[in-house]
Amino acid sequence: MKNITRSIEIKMTTGWRMIMALLVLTAVSCSEDFLERKPRGQLTYDTFFETPDHAVWATNAIYHQFRSWEMCAFPWIGITDIISDDADKGSTPNDALYVLELDEFTFDAANAAVTGAWQGHYHAIFRANLAIDNIPGIEMDSTLRARLIGEAKFLRAYTYFRLVQWFGDVPLITRTLNDDEYYNQERTSKELVYDFIETDLLDAIGALPEKDDYASADLGRATKGAARGILAKLYAVKHDFPKVIEQCDAIINSGEYSLLARYADNFLPVGEHGAESIFEISAVASQAAIVGPGATPFNMIQGVRGVPNLGWGFNRPSDDLVAEYEAGDPRRQATIIYVGEVLPDGSTIVEDNPEVLNERYNQKAWVPAHSGLQDNGPGNIRVLRYSDILLLGAEAYNEENNPAKAVEYLNIVRTRARGSNNFILPNVTTMDKAELRESIYHERRVELAMEQHRWFDLARWGRLGDVMPLVQPGFVATKHILLPLPQSEIDLTGGTLVQNNGY
Amino acid sequence: MQMKTLRILFYSLLWLPFTSIAQTTVTGLVLDANSNDPLIGVTILEAQTDHGTLTDLDGRFTFVVSSADPTLIFRYTGYSTVEIKLDGRDQLEVKMAEEATLFDQIVVVGYGTQKKSDLTGAVSSVKGKDIARIPTANVEQALQGKVSGVYVAPSSGTPGAGAVIRIRGTGTLNNANPLYVIDGMITYDASNVNPEDVESIEVLKDASAAAIYGSRGANGVILITTKGGKTRDKASITASGYYGVQQVTKQIDLLNAAEFASAYNDFRGQQYFPNPDSLGEGTNWQDEIFRNAPIYNASLSANGGSEQYQFNFSANYFSQDGIIQNSHYDRLTFRINGEYKLNSFMSIGHNISNSSIREDVAPGVVNTAYRMPPVYAPRDSTGDFSDPTFFGLAIANPAADLYYKSDNHNTGSRLFGNLYADIDFLKNFTFRTNFGFDKGNRNSKYFEPKFEVSASQLNKNDRLSVGTSSTNDWIWEQTLTYDHTWDEHHITVLGGYTAEERNSSNLGGSRENFPGTADELLYLSAGNDTTQMNYQGAYDEAINSLLFRANYTFKNKYLLTVSFRRDQSSRFTKTNRTGNFPSASIGWNMTDESFVQGLDFLDRLKVRASYGVLGNQASASGYPSTGAVTSALYGIFGPNESLNQGATLISLSNANLQWETSRQADIGVEMGFFDGRLAMEVDWYNRETYDIIAAVPIPDYVGSQADPVVNTAQVNNQGWDITANWRQGGTVAYNFGVIVSPVTNSVEKLANGRSEIFAAFLQGEPASHTVVGLPIGGFYGYKVGGIFQTQEELDNSPKLGGEKVGDIRFQDTNLDGILNGDDRVYLGSPIPTITYSFTAGVEWNGFDFNADVLGAGGHYVFNAKETFRFSVYNWEQHVEDRWTLENPSLTEPRITNGGHNYKVSDRFLEKGDFIRLRSLSLGYTLPAGVSSKAKIDRMRVYVTGTNIWTSQEYSGYSPEFPNAGNTYEVGFDFGGYPIAKSWQAGIEIQF
Repeated sequence: MKNITRSIEIKMTTGWRMIMALLVLTAVSCSEDFLERKPRGQLTYDTFFETPDHAVWATNAIYHQFRSWEMCAFPWIGITDIISDDADKGSTPNDALYVLELDEFTFDAANAAVTGAWQGHYHAIFRANLAIDNIPGIEMDSTLRARLIGEAKFLRAYTYFRLVQWFGDVPLITRTLNDDEYYNQERTSKELVYDFIETDLLDAIGALPEKDDYASADLGRATKGAARGILAKLYAVKHDFPKVIEQCDAIINSGEYSLLARYADNFLPVGEHGAESIFEISAVASQAAIVGPGATPFNMIQGVRGVPNLGWGFNRPSDDLVAEYEAGDPRRQATIIYVGEVLPDGSTIVEDNPEVLNERYNQKAWVPAHSGLQDNGPGNIRVLRYSDILLLGAEAYNEENNPAKAVEYLNIVRTRARGSNNFILPNVTTMDKAELRESIYHERRVELAMEQHRWFDLARWGRLGDVMPLVQPGFVATKHILLPLPQSEIDLTGGTLVQNNGY
Repeated sequence: MQMKTLRILFYSLLWLPFTSIAQTTVTGLVLDANSNDPLIGVTILEAQTDHGTLTDLDGRFTFVVSSADPTLIFRYTGYSTVEIKLDGRDQLEVKMAEEATLFDQIVVVGYGTQKKSDLTGAVSSVKGKDIARIPTANVEQALQGKVSGVYVAPSSGTPGAGAVIRIRGTGTLNNANPLYVIDGMITYDASNVNPEDVESIEVLKDASAAAIYGSRGANGVILITTKGGKTRDKASITASGYYGVQQVTKQIDLLNAAEFASAYNDFRGQQYFPNPDSLGEGTNWQDEIFRNAPIYNASLSANGGSEQYQFNFSANYFSQDGIIQNSHYDRLTFRINGEYKLNSFMSIGHNISNSSIREDVAPGVVNTAYRMPPVYAPRDSTGDFSDPTFFGLAIANPAADLYYKSDNHNTGSRLFGNLYADIDFLKNFTFRTNFGFDKGNRNSKYFEPKFEVSASQLNKNDRLSVGTSSTNDWIWEQTLTYDHTWDEHHITVLGGYTAEERNSSNLGGSRENFPGTADELLYLSAGNDTTQMNYQGAYDEAINSLLFRANYTFKNKYLLTVSFRRDQSSRFTKTNRTGNFPSASIGWNMTDESFVQGLDFLDRLKVRASYGVLGNQASASGYPSTGAVTSALYGIFGPNESLNQGATLISLSNANLQWETSRQADIGVEMGFFDGRLAMEVDWYNRETYDIIAAVPIPDYVGSQADPVVNTAQVNNQGWDITANWRQGGTVAYNFGVIVSPVTNSVEKLANGRSEIFAAFLQGEPASHTVVGLPIGGFYGYKVGGIFQTQEELDNSPKLGGEKVGDIRFQDTNLDGILNGDDRVYLGSPIPTITYSFTAGVEWNGFDFNADVLGAGGHYVFNAKETFRFSVYNWEQHVEDRWTLENPSLTEPRITNGGHNYKVSDRFLEKGDFIRLRSLSLGYTLPAGVSSKAKIDRMRVYVTGTNIWTSQEYSGYSPEFPNAGNTYEVGFDFGGYPIAKSWQAGIEIQF
């Protein structure tokens, strides 16, 4: 009997002790710390914008967005070149019909290219706003801080400049919105958007170094010259020609830029960030045979389709563009790849692809063989060249009744294009304002063809309604001079955003 | 034994002079129909007499009958009574089936076990041997057709693949996969379990059963219990194995070379192939990728124990070659389960398994074989792989892909299990501490040599990619159980606290330009370091929980269960982290009520009802509320175009995110008829999921790259789970089973401001459309109205523009006289409205026969692979009926390559209904006398056919296209790895 009692006691006490010990042990894991987990290998917003590195990274991330599909592939090419009289959709007839809608002006407010471009540009603005709002609070070298903010302002201004040219009045988002502000933004009149762009660019001009003043490792960052160039274009849009002249001449007189001897070199690797380049979006193929993080789809979507298989063959130079060139103008050959042509690197001959009608390709988007597949595109996207500024200067001087200066700038461009062949592209000599204007307009088209400037030029000249119906009967001037805001934006704001006319 | 024989002899001799008055000695053996274990102490009576006997310790009996041609009655508690007419026999082997096992079996529930008759929740149980009958590496696939209310579809035909499982419908727009609990360890991946180790699988379907798993129970819970040791005189050793051959279930009807050439000529409008007929059959590309593939399995296990300890050891090797060349999976599994009674109040135990796998991964060639024109041979006359560039093809020669891209291997191992201790103390209390662990690692290695087949099929630099990942999960649970019976009351109360943590990490890299392709050179260090890429990442989460459950029964008639779990999850911010998940259920066991007792045919009746709240945190991504800064947003600067680090916030997050919540009601009836031979269980349920995580669209000008996710949407699933089983013991023992599970899925609400979710974009057009009032991911597109037969018809009909005579006329469904995107409509649902299965089994004289048939219906499949035509691909056979002036087809348009006729429409929609002979097996167990001579306790040989017959309307390989990760894109045939049919022969020997 005694034994039994004792064994029960042992059973009780040992059991209790073990249980108590276990409960104490598990209580340790009960603490709140146990449940606090953070993403691994990843910064979070609460710990970002604290060091000088963060400031640099946040700025670099804006450049990155310019290599996105939305800002350099179908959406970008679609509503610059393909929509204009310079180019047709290209590729096989049934491929990407929403891009064909742009070419033929059958698109509506739900078109994926228009929507995509809108999205992509506002994504860039989101990143720029974050940088501009947060970098000032970081303790760091003040010169670098000012420069980074200048870069961000330049990129934000350039992004808004594209948007305002396509859509007219747009929501002007200048900081990260709070959740009660998501659905109630209105369109800001384009004049106020112009003013905002101008302020950003003037700030950028004040903060940014000239191209030569950057350290070599920073080649490709926004420069004072680039900011002046975009500002000149903004003034041209506003028809404020004295200010166009002021900015163009500041660039020309800076001594930072000159034309390359060979026009075609501008679009080869040798021309990247060359003397003629004022601003371009850098891209680089990964050495490994994959899609590198520095690549773009820009080259792929426009590359030769078929043999050699360099891409998808979109953005086909139009018959109308081909006809624009003067006889013997070498810029036509430098701009267009034809079937049977040997590629610029001499690598191979382009064969006929029965699936593609009237086959032609944009040579300015061509890149030599590179590692990886087509989507590992290494070609820099040329945004602003010196010849563009010369022609813009010429245009402004002519408008300001200084034909001599206009002709001087114009002929610099023609002389370079002519090369050593004196039988072609004679100097323009007319001093008649209207005639000279036509010459300058013509020169802009052939000099800058397939570089995504044409639609904006036609819009700024007020000529979309004269030119576009001749090549695309679907074009309706009262409607198509502005693109539609994405239908989803109209719907989500419950009509706070008002659609453009005709959509 | 010898004594008994003597005794029999003695009695026999004694009776010898009287044999003429029909007194016969009958000997026999009585076995459990389910396990084939001998049954001890079975009462055997001779009908219309008072003679009787009992079976001995070996289940044997000897009995002298007195009447001429008597009937013997076998009775055994818990088993259906068996009556056998002797018909002159003097030896019998009798199988007795457990009486309506649905009622009396012990079932595993969360954190415990319960008698089925006491259950108030909806729990279905599957026996291990029903799982082991399907030759698969993965228990998930073996569950198909076994449980009512549970839809199972193979996730792919890839060797070793698992299944997509939906318990009671698709409960969310996000992660709708169930939770697995293997011997108490919580996991989302049950691929490491050797099906032969499984004792039983329980599926917790309703809120009452699953609420104890709280924030992870909403999609149902699958409990897998592995075999433990059994107390026996001597250990039982079992060796078993099977070998089989698999092949593709069918081939897709495509054009042969002559037909293709002729079709291509029609398409081009010119004689590209001057003499199509001369090309004959050409290459059947499906033959070039598929093969007859062996599958085999070998197991050895030992099971036994005494009062103090019980053990089960097992070793298993499973090997499966895929039906696509170069694909393979094998797995070696060891298991040690044991339980040890340390003293009068404490026992400890463990269930531990280690599995090692190897996978050889074949490149994706199903699609390219489907597309490749049959006019090409795999290799051209020079022996090189054919380059089909003549057609401007952007597709790869599948034979070349198989050749160049098959050096792709994964290996892995996983140590999985639990250790526990049970301590009895005070009176009626049991404390259990349980530590579960899951430690895994996985290595991948893929080498792609340098090759060039065509401009679109090439690899410029050889490249080696390697990766390694590891997981380390643990759970520690403390539970206390109080169990007390007094008078007519019985109460069980369970309370507990658990902590768990999950960690995973990965590391990998790649390099190019290796000095050779020999295996010993294929290590990263041998490659060119300027081409190196690498990555490393990790993930972790933690959960703390309190759990509680009380079961109360009164008079064994009135049943009540309440349960509650409180979870705190690291996935959510502090203020949103805690969730409470209560449930309650009641049951009424009417069997002993007088109104049931009065009914002859009805011997069991129970009704039950439950209601409760469950959660689903798996729908939230890893750290959903953290504003993650995205890096690798490089800026490119400098003369060498260097990548400069870029990082920023690109999307807005929602700090208020929480888990999704399900509320489920269930009413069930369990019935037994005809002395327990027929058992039926019928459940009705209504499952409403609220606060489903969905991205709320915000205007793009906000600039967030992803829409913020919030808890907003709502989905309803309503249906019936119906099970009926007939079991009959005897010398001919047989059973039939039917399972029918109709379910209706409907989206009740989407995000505020969002009325529809489009998905599955094919050529830029959505083929899946989720809207309120219809099932998730309904098919969407134009409806075919016919074929434009004349120019006049074309001119006078609404059209999209660009149509020609012979093209499809789409319906102007809204009758506004204009054909545009507004005419696209709901075309059908990818979710079966009913799934069903039939089973039949017969055992007679050592022979056993089993057949499983399963099917699903009411849903559609979208033949998406047919809609892609970026270049000239082969066509399906139906284009032979294409519209031409001479053959004005009313159903098949003129031949085109993409474009109008390939727009997303019901042209590509096919009925998904199918019925399949899942398994058919015939086995023979050697008579005990024969096997015992060979010192073998038991030996069985069998042949099994798996998926050997399917009746389906769908034109592709198989009509099942589940999607584990994306509920919007279900039912799309993009040309994945098809499932196989197989025959295998096997043997089981028990020593």
